[in-house]
Amino acid sequence: MLQHLMRYADCISSRVSRHDFLYLFTLDIPVHSARFKRKSTSILLLWLCFVTLILSACGREPLYHSQSYVFGTLVDISIYGEQADRAAKLAGVIQQDFQRLHRKLHAWDEDSDLSRINRAFEEGRRVPVDAELASLILQAQRYSSQSDGLFNPAIGQLIGHWGFQRDMFKPVSIDQEAIRRLVNANPQMTDIQLYETSSGIEIESQNPFVKLDFGGYAKGYALDRAAGYLRSEGVRNALINIGGNVIAIGMRGGRNWRVGIQHPRGSGAIASLELEDGWAIGTSGDYQRYFELDGKRYCHLLDPRTGFPAQHTQAVTVLLPPGDHNGTLSDVASKPIFISDDSHRSEMAKRLGVDHYLIIDANGSITASAAMKQRLKWKSDVEVHTIP
Amino acid sequence: MLKSIPFLDWFQGLKWGDGLVLLAGIGIVLILFKTLWLTESASKVQIRAGNEIFTTQSLNQQRTLDIPGPLGTTVVIIDHGRARVASDPGPRQYCVKQGWLKQAGEVAMCLPNQVSVELLGNSKPYDTLNY
Repeated sequence: MLQHLMRYADCISSRVSRHDFLYLFTLDIPVHSARFKRKSTSILLLWLCFVTLILSACGREPLYHSQSYVFGTLVDISIYGEQADRAAKLAGVIQQDFQRLHRKLHAWDEDSDLSRINRAFEEGRRVPVDAELASLILQAQRYSSQSDGLFNPAIGQLIGHWGFQRDMFKPVSIDQEAIRRLVNANPQMTDIQLYETSSGIEIESQNPFVKLDFGGYAKGYALDRAAGYLRSEGVRNALINIGGNVIAIGMRGGRNWRVGIQHPRGSGAIASLELEDGWAIGTSGDYQRYFELDGKRYCHLLDPRTGFPAQHTQAVTVLLPPGDHNGTLSDVASKPIFISDDSHRSEMAKRLGVDHYLIIDANGSITASAAMKQRLKWKSDVEVHTIP
Repeated sequence: MLKSIPFLDWFQGLKWGDGLVLLAGIGIVLILFKTLWLTESASKVQIRAGNEIFTTQSLNQQRTLDIPGPLGTTVVIIDHGRARVASDPGPRQYCVKQGWLKQAGEVAMCLPNQVSVELLGNSKPYDTLNY
């Protein structure tokens, strides 16, 4: 109720200057003579009409919201305080850019740029690569070494073996021998070499088993691009959600943007938080892509050391402060923390520069870093363990 | 005595029936304000197909809806205050397995068939969902 009244007051004050507003309530209507009686009534009516007109415009917020499906991923964009047609145009550009990235970085479409490079890796050839893809690979190499190889986009063959590189994946029979072979082949981001030549950048891999899959990386990169684009266009308030990874620009009217964190086993949110200007949030969950076999859940988050899905965790959420690549990091950083076992998680978070993180383990038990705990609002009473 | 107060003079011409009309008017305005501005309890279900809002319906009904998508038809059931995806042509069936949605903000997404079912309340607890 109070919230509504405040919105009400907010809205009135944004439409009427302070002077007008005071005037509204200090109308000195002379009522002492009969001649003024009719006049005062009509002034009163005019006043009522005026107030009604002001308030009628208050029901609608200047909020544009679009949802679109780009190749199986939901792109959800809210823009506050822009004309609807301009907001729609800006959202359209973001969707198109995401479509372009999707085609370029598709891990199992033979025609994508990434597949072309993967074929060259397999055949030991050195091929040209464009600047965007080269810088993406360089950045991935840095994240990979930062995370001790737990973030490893070079294990595309393993991901494919588990059947997660398919639009329609179903339970696979687990071939221990093949998995061991792929793990022992040890594909690493450091196997990839980039060369600057007079005609451009060239790339090759020293390990034919390197196959890039940017499934845990590309959405975050797209998020950074989208936020950068909106800021360059002068948009001051927006909330961008690409496949679950979210970044905030400015605020929503007089308050911060609010983001719900998906309950790993239920519908809707388990908690929510206020995402301040420039902050980004990302979650890795075993509920996003998985199959069940003999009552056991096999999720898409593979431990590169064992070749098997990590099964000790339901979800890891990371929250990143404003920074140049924090959208990308919101996508990347949750994976190594997810895969690490309990005793190494806080160390892994530190290595990746993540202060705010939330872990829900396989039993549903909840742990949050001290910084994260302060930011979360829980939907119901839950016990939250704290990592200092 | 009353006549000497100019403001009350204004009411002199009114009869008791006018008073009733006035009271009824105030009552109606209050009721409208409560139902249209402060509907905390009323909940709706919004179904999106592709990039468009397919329909927004009241949750307080019994109804089965067929939503067309690129793979086929997604069937959504609304059942007095709750809603669920009954069947979907998608391969993984996550949105069907999710079961009944009951609270505002809960969403079932059938990504392959580009259909989403979201429960709306007047006070949405958050602007977007991180998953």
